[in-house]
Amino acid sequence: MNDKLLVETAVLAGEIMLVSGAEIYRVENTIDHILRKAGRNTAEAIVFSTGIFASLNDPAIEAITVARRVTGRSTNLNRVYLVNDVSRMLCEDRMTVEEAYVRLTDIRDSVQYGRRLKDIGVMGVAVFFTLLLGGGARDCLAAAVTGISLATAMEVSARIRLNDFCANAFCAFLIAIATLFMGQWLIPGIKSDIIIIGAIMPLVPGVIFTTAIRDTLNGDYASGTARIMEAVVIALAVAAGVGAGMGLFQWLTGGLSW
Amino acid sequence: MVVQTIGAFLAVISFSLILELPKKHVILAGGIGAASWLVYLLVHASSGSVIAAAFLSSLLVALTSHIFARIFKAPVTVFLVAGILPSVPGTSIYRSVSYVIANNPDLSSHYLVETLQVSGAIAMAIFIMDSLFRLGQKR
Repeated sequence: MNDKLLVETAVLAGEIMLVSGAEIYRVENTIDHILRKAGRNTAEAIVFSTGIFASLNDPAIEAITVARRVTGRSTNLNRVYLVNDVSRMLCEDRMTVEEAYVRLTDIRDSVQYGRRLKDIGVMGVAVFFTLLLGGGARDCLAAAVTGISLATAMEVSARIRLNDFCANAFCAFLIAIATLFMGQWLIPGIKSDIIIIGAIMPLVPGVIFTTAIRDTLNGDYASGTARIMEAVVIALAVAAGVGAGMGLFQWLTGGLSW
Repeated sequence: MVVQTIGAFLAVISFSLILELPKKHVILAGGIGAASWLVYLLVHASSGSVIAAAFLSSLLVALTSHIFARIFKAPVTVFLVAGILPSVPGTSIYRSVSYVIANNPDLSSHYLVETLQVSGAIAMAIFIMDSLFRLGQKR
């Protein structure tokens, strides 16, 4: 068996999972399982939220160690799911290492839903969360408009490469302004509070928070605390954005109605 | 309540698009989200406690996620993340901020504490189910 390719495959699998938002122990487990297929004495994997180290050693071979720095992450559960499948098939000998490597490079760039569909998703979240929180038809209509402005804001901040904190704050700011504006002049009488709550849901770090808890309770404290920090910072950014939007609106109109 | 549950179902499905949930599990994830929101509403109506509601609904989500993950041989995260979303304390965060703007520090800190408590309740629920399902499992 080609040890070098096996290590490469294992690290690639780990990298995809880590970037896509899998828990640390799942990434380590996957790399471990794949490395163990080589049947060497030592197979170790260390994973942090920012990097991966994997090592394979045996008296018969020269040690192979791969370090990989991981930057940029975006949640993509489908990739986690697909890599999980590949690693399962590889370990059950239903796939060769070469096949697995090719398959993984495909998965790395796979996208299920296009950008338009994602925009619709953002709008849908705003509308249906408003419904879920007890909004009526007029509220949902207003939420749809707010959702569209949120999707636009997200795209704009991605295009001008705004950093995460500013992007979240900017999106939240726009949500607050758009909703309050509509409540004041276009569709009076809407419940602007639940519309804002519904619309900030795509920004609220629910996924990061969930992963952070599971990491921490699994004993991966370094990544756990890093992710909790990330969730707190995002929440603060959203709060700052909404607060700034509401404050500005109040200052402009000289009074808020909620 | 029926309308709100349908809202939860569709909201989780919309979220699935953003999170790139595997296509064949989207409907199921939506179902978990709807069930969890129904439990949330029922518990909230009967006990009046947001924290109990968040705890019990997250417990249900975590339980069903672990079961479905084993049935479909998929990572638990796939179901867990989407189902948890309706219980995430977006409302408390918002109210905390809005009372800062409205110059009402007492209510603001009340909702800030509530945010932390709800987050803690969700964390507890996930933790309990994770621990239960790990019993007797080889590492």
